[in-house]
Amino acid sequence: METENVNKTNSKQTALIVLGIFMVSFLIYYLVMVFLSPLKKNREYGEMYSYKQDEKNKIDERVFSDSAYLKLYKEKAWLQSRIAMAETDSIYLTVNLPDSVVNLEISGVVVHSSTIKKQNISKIIRKGNDYIITTLFAKPLTIEKNYASIQKVPLMIKMAPKDTSEYKPDIIPDTADFEPVNYIMEVNDGMVIIVYQEERLNPGDGFHLFIFDLKYRLRQALRAMKSIITLKVPEYQPYIKLTLPRTDAKIIFRALPEQGQIAVYR
Amino acid sequence: MGIELQSGEGLNPAEEKVSGIVNQNPVPVDSQDNKSFFQRIAENEKLASRLRRIFIWTTSILTVLFLFIFFIYIVPLLQEIPSPGKTTITNSAELKKEASYKKIVTQLSRDIQRFSRKYNGYTTGQSYLVINTTDNIFHLYRNKKQIREGHCSTGSFKMLKTEEGRSWIFKTPKGKFWIQGKVNNPPWRRPDWAYVEEGLPIPSQDDPGRYEYGVLGDYALALGDGYLIHGTIYKRFLGMPVTHGCVRLNDDDLKAIFNTLSIGSKVYIF
Repeated sequence: METENVNKTNSKQTALIVLGIFMVSFLIYYLVMVFLSPLKKNREYGEMYSYKQDEKNKIDERVFSDSAYLKLYKEKAWLQSRIAMAETDSIYLTVNLPDSVVNLEISGVVVHSSTIKKQNISKIIRKGNDYIITTLFAKPLTIEKNYASIQKVPLMIKMAPKDTSEYKPDIIPDTADFEPVNYIMEVNDGMVIIVYQEERLNPGDGFHLFIFDLKYRLRQALRAMKSIITLKVPEYQPYIKLTLPRTDAKIIFRALPEQGQIAVYR
Repeated sequence: MGIELQSGEGLNPAEEKVSGIVNQNPVPVDSQDNKSFFQRIAENEKLASRLRRIFIWTTSILTVLFLFIFFIYIVPLLQEIPSPGKTTITNSAELKKEASYKKIVTQLSRDIQRFSRKYNGYTTGQSYLVINTTDNIFHLYRNKKQIREGHCSTGSFKMLKTEEGRSWIFKTPKGKFWIQGKVNNPPWRRPDWAYVEEGLPIPSQDDPGRYEYGVLGDYALALGDGYLIHGTIYKRFLGMPVTHGCVRLNDDDLKAIFNTLSIGSKVYIF
């Protein structure tokens, strides 16, 4: 009887040790994959946007590390990207990170402007190869998916009265809206632009932001886990996180079309 | 006496030797108190198993919590550690002297000038109107300067539905528009939804009863597709999203806009 108990305890301990080893190995494997993901993204950007030498007009590659050239190149890319959007007649967003300004524009006309109160940018965008990242931003980014705490089109459905006896005139609309404004715009090239409202107007706003952020992080973690389990390096999403005054954040979100375009200057 | 001696009370080992009686149990009676906490737990199996269970549960919860924080918060931070290969600025003096470099830089400067001219050309000196439908505010510009701003009313974002399946969405369109027509003392031709909304029967399209006078103010500017910029008798609603898609203004603002904008002037709605 005692031997049986000792055996049971031993097998339990062995199982625990095996489980522990498995978990630690998985965590190490996970960490390696996670470390590889931004490097993979960087390599992808490099392949897509690095300068392709033309046999006829070869360029001395030293220009890509020349500050005067890079400054002009950035300026050109910024203009190029905005002109491409201005010609679409649609509403678009321009994000000027060094000046901390975001503008809503239609056909080159600034219709609304806001100051970025806080910004947090991925290292890959901040410190990546200047030429490659500038080339990436030379074309407008197109929104592919929106996740938001507010509705894009706040439609209210009203059933028509059957006759005049059922008719009730509209009461004054409730313009007091306190819903927090936070949204995530997934754009092409695997990037993401996240906008948070600056103010904490209600006690619940902080909690709401925590939940909103947590949902996004969970989505990301699940995505990464899926890739890692299938032995693939997970997709890294370079991000630009902006904190704007609430009213501006709301105006921008409501004004931009579902597949709106964004130009970024860094 | 024997009992006293067995218990060992009051006798030190030297006295025990003298008395010739060696205590068989050297542990004193009060040794229970001197036992370590862990020894006592080990002896009390019930307590030990309970504590073991608490320990396992706490460890499990802490492990899950750690894993959650690790995957959700620590991993994204760790992803920012690898260095993406920053550009090392060399600013080679030798390169700057080369004709090919000068050619590239000159070409870039020319491109920038060309693009800047093009981009600045989008904002003309002509008058234009900007309407913010989220805050229900308008801005009037002339020669690239704002000359007037104020409240307006835009679409309510209501969707009117009938049991027969007809529906209308009352929202102001967004984008770039231009003034397609200007009218003094505009009449309002009531569309079908105006009857449906009030539960009234819809008259024929050419019914003269559809026309109402004085409800749109003194002026109207047409944006196309039936959308107008006009006045209102419901001035207390200015600054609120209450219209069926048109833009309502107060009398003074409407007059200023009517006099400033001409046919073809741009209206930007966002």
